[in-house]
Amino acid sequence: MNIIKNIGEKILGRTPTAINEEQIKQKLSKIMDPDLGQNIVDLGFLRNIKISGNDIYLEINLTTPACPVKESMKSQAEALLGEIPSVGQIQVQMTATTRGSTAPAQSQVAQSLGQVKNIIAVASGKGGVGKSTTAVNLAYALAARGSKVGLMDADVYGPSIPIMTKPDAPTQSNSNLINPPQARGVKVMSIGLFAGGEKATIVRGPMASGVIKQFLTQVNWGELDYLIIDYPPGTGDIQLTISQTAPITGAVVVTTPQDVALIDVRKAIAMFDTMKVPVIGVVETMSYFICDGCDKKHYIFKSGGGNKVAAEFGLNFLGEVPLESNVALNSDKGIPAVIADSASPAAQSYMTISGAVAAQVSIIHEAYKDALNHFVLEWKPMSQEIQ
Amino acid sequence: MAQSQPVEFLKSQKPSARVKSISQVNDRLFQIDWTDGLHSQFDTVELRRKCPCATCKDEWTHEQILKPENVPDSIRPVKIESVGQYALSVQFTDGHKTGIYPFSLLRKISLIN
Repeated sequence: MNIIKNIGEKILGRTPTAINEEQIKQKLSKIMDPDLGQNIVDLGFLRNIKISGNDIYLEINLTTPACPVKESMKSQAEALLGEIPSVGQIQVQMTATTRGSTAPAQSQVAQSLGQVKNIIAVASGKGGVGKSTTAVNLAYALAARGSKVGLMDADVYGPSIPIMTKPDAPTQSNSNLINPPQARGVKVMSIGLFAGGEKATIVRGPMASGVIKQFLTQVNWGELDYLIIDYPPGTGDIQLTISQTAPITGAVVVTTPQDVALIDVRKAIAMFDTMKVPVIGVVETMSYFICDGCDKKHYIFKSGGGNKVAAEFGLNFLGEVPLESNVALNSDKGIPAVIADSASPAAQSYMTISGAVAAQVSIIHEAYKDALNHFVLEWKPMSQEIQ
Repeated sequence: MAQSQPVEFLKSQKPSARVKSISQVNDRLFQIDWTDGLHSQFDTVELRRKCPCATCKDEWTHEQILKPENVPDSIRPVKIESVGQYALSVQFTDGHKTGIYPFSLLRKISLIN
């Protein structure tokens, strides 16, 4: 019967019952991928659908060549296609493209940080040395110099950036990325924007690292000249995650002048050396105090500590920032010193430091202009003979 | 006040060697051209045997736990990927992917320089 029908159709050419792609898709949408929990049509597995007369050829492209249900999926597909009225020959070819490798971590970094020209880490060995204040003011000083700047708070346990900059709430972009809110023209991202400023983030290391990884892969940073990352204090999980995920251009190390802070700053410098992140230089905060009664610089702690540690490691000393009560007061109001009072000694220091940082970053760029920022090499089977 | 002094490359820090290009040579080997002009080739099977991750190498004694004979010659990478600016990681066909190979290590164990 079928043979006669087929011959008839071949003579008469296309019949009103000609098979179309929709029919095929409708049939095959009954096949589920057990791992991905979706039907193979929606997953986009169908490739190269060819219909000639009543004959069907198509490919089912799986996510891995080692798929355990490959054979059963093939016979299922053949059976379902066989239900199409007046179908002729059916040929189902199973192929595979490994999915994980087409969207690896690195390309996620590219979607988030692809248009970011420089990433600058602001780190310290110790907490409470003015690292966040430095990160914020460095960001706003660079912005004041006309750069497009982003500011990422990597301190999951003690996020300070939302208080110091007062940004709006983040929004979701249409490509599943988070749009960082702006605060006075600087794009800002912090866990503090999500958890509710008052609540504590109580998570173990891997979760904290996961959050930071999201900030580097799922935030729509867009086009930036500088992304400043405010590191948490110390040399742990999160610091490692950032340096392993994002191509950091260079690091600014912050310290106060006392020996006890300097001991830890050496550890931060050693960490960057291990991760081959160039250290742009050392910033010393709380260097001296100018009271409201006189212009004398009161060196409350030891003087010259930052300079000493810079000299010890052969690093640039980027500058000293005085202790000014207005810096803290304005910070609490969400106004960075360089904006609140640009003539103040602290603001002036930060402006000078930002200039030095920008200059050093250009030098780093020149030195590494031939280097690949990140790479993925997909391995292909090759015959040994071809060399 | 601020004593910034933009000088030659970050004062005494030398630029570290980074990957200029990376390419597959044949079924087993790949090549890295470094920014300092050095060229190195690597046998991927040997790389798997020298995996520096915590399950293959004792973190405290640095003894290799992984026995070389347990890695078959047929093992191959699935993909090789950069880790920050200092290392690369390899995902192997046996599913192992936790090894992070710092560039400094790679430059020591390469086949040809």
